[in-house]
Amino acid sequence: MHDERPSKPRMLRTLLVLTAAALAGASLWLGPAPAEEAGSKATATARFTMLPSNHMVLRAMLNGKGPYRLIFDLGAPITLLSNKAAEGSGTVDANAPKSFLFSMRGEAEVAKLQVGSLTAEKLPVVVFDHPALGVLSQVLGEPIDGIIGFTFFARYRTTIDYQKDEMTFTPVDFSVRDLMKDLPDRIAGPKVARQRVLAPGGLWGLRLGAAEPDGKGVRVASVVPDSPAALAGLAAGDVLTAVDERWTASVEDVYAAASGVEPGREAPVAVLREGKEQTLTVRPADGA
Amino acid sequence: MIHKFIAVAATVGLVGVAAAVGAQDKPGSGKDPQLGRAFRVPYRLTDTNHFLVRVRINGKGPFNFLVDSGAPALYVATETAAKIGIAPPEKGFWTPIDSLEIEGGARLEKVKGRVEDPFQLVGMNALGLPGASIDGILGFTILARFKLDIDLTRDRMTWTRLDFAPPDPPVPTDEDRKNPPAEMQLMNALGPVAKGLAFLIGKQPEEQVAARGFLGLEWDEAGDAKAVRIVRVLPESPAAAAGVAVGDTLVRIDGKPVGGLRSAREALAGLRQGRAVELVVRRGDEEKTLKATAGEGL
Repeated sequence: MHDERPSKPRMLRTLLVLTAAALAGASLWLGPAPAEEAGSKATATARFTMLPSNHMVLRAMLNGKGPYRLIFDLGAPITLLSNKAAEGSGTVDANAPKSFLFSMRGEAEVAKLQVGSLTAEKLPVVVFDHPALGVLSQVLGEPIDGIIGFTFFARYRTTIDYQKDEMTFTPVDFSVRDLMKDLPDRIAGPKVARQRVLAPGGLWGLRLGAAEPDGKGVRVASVVPDSPAALAGLAAGDVLTAVDERWTASVEDVYAAASGVEPGREAPVAVLREGKEQTLTVRPADGA
Repeated sequence: MIHKFIAVAATVGLVGVAAAVGAQDKPGSGKDPQLGRAFRVPYRLTDTNHFLVRVRINGKGPFNFLVDSGAPALYVATETAAKIGIAPPEKGFWTPIDSLEIEGGARLEKVKGRVEDPFQLVGMNALGLPGASIDGILGFTILARFKLDIDLTRDRMTWTRLDFAPPDPPVPTDEDRKNPPAEMQLMNALGPVAKGLAFLIGKQPEEQVAARGFLGLEWDEAGDAKAVRIVRVLPESPAAAAGVAVGDTLVRIDGKPVGGLRSAREALAGLRQGRAVELVVRRGDEEKTLKATAGEGL
């Protein structure tokens, strides 16, 4: 991506990266990226302002420069910086080559991003001039310098309160997948469906029939006598509509919900019986 | 200039539109009983690092909707709208929606949605990038009614209903919608580009899930050696058919040594229905090798 005239395979990769980056930003996308705080588990707070366009904006210092105005976007899988902000903050070298589309500079890293009382370090960002940001800046009459996306907020337990215009960030231990590496590889890779087996956390003692045609639930085919399901009062013919407060529109949904219920924990199970909704409590046994 | 902006909003469907222009939606006269309640919302993280939650619209669904604070409103893809039985209005921009239920228990009545196919959805779905189809977008006008609490180390978000009714985004004119700025036309071209790419290189298939098979035994863990002991065998179960008896100690599952409940659970986690599994058990002084065929159920 650093060649001015990429060879064909590089062109393809650039196109893939670009497509992935652009599509991945199913929301607003444009944005700079914050970095992560090492060590401390303390909760940090940041105030945001709402743009007339209903976007949240955070004022962030990038590598001690700024402030830059970044849109906080839950739907953006990447953190994005405009070329201007990336150069101004020393995130990329002003002489770094740009690609043919959106002046894309590709991936870089912000050493230090500060927003509110939070300091994030080594935040991966993608540098390009997102057209939507450009238009937004023009309309607002002030620059929007980028988008804060998943690669930032996935590092924290994040709360957003639109009434108080406040966010909080508490560090959690979550490793963020590198989308910009994975996605192009996947697009170009073999088209094999991944397979996953959904294992219930415990033993329930019931067999499922078919899903109801309207997506409302799944019918219970039979219940093993004296099993946890039987003790809870479940009976053949009941339609399971929710297990552990998860909708069960398909047989897979029931298994997915049951996979989250550890043995010995009580889980609410909503059933339709003779047209009436009721909630039973199942405590799965340890077993298989 | 605001027209240009609105045009962008309309075409991208994402760049939000001005609250300043929009009419304020007054909260309903009677207090909504859900105000102040916290809902645990199950979500799925896609391969593209997007959050999907499931919704029912007018009782139909469930559908996968993207949680996207970068979108100004509720977007319903045209295909999804057809399944629900709603359509864009002949005149005007919004389609009224009677009820929007979000998995986990939150429910909104009388909201407005926009029936449209934002190019990002078209592109991502064409390439199969997220690993699941995306049927629409929950944007600002929906999300702002909640305090959102998101922690990737947990399998659910917490959404607490606020007493806050966000304004509708303003509606772009037809003229603006038809003639977006060149930059946005370029972005919009990405949908077709992705479709072209998908045609050339294929679509990523969705993940296939299978249900784990059923044996019908209960176990516990005894002693320092973490021996896994069978405490119950359900009647007429695959385990009973294989000859597993109460008091047996599990030694190996499909050749894997069992050292505690955790390893027993893990050894069986990938067992599919209809597949055979070899259980080596200790009964008194002898070891027995039993063959069970996993049944249906949980």
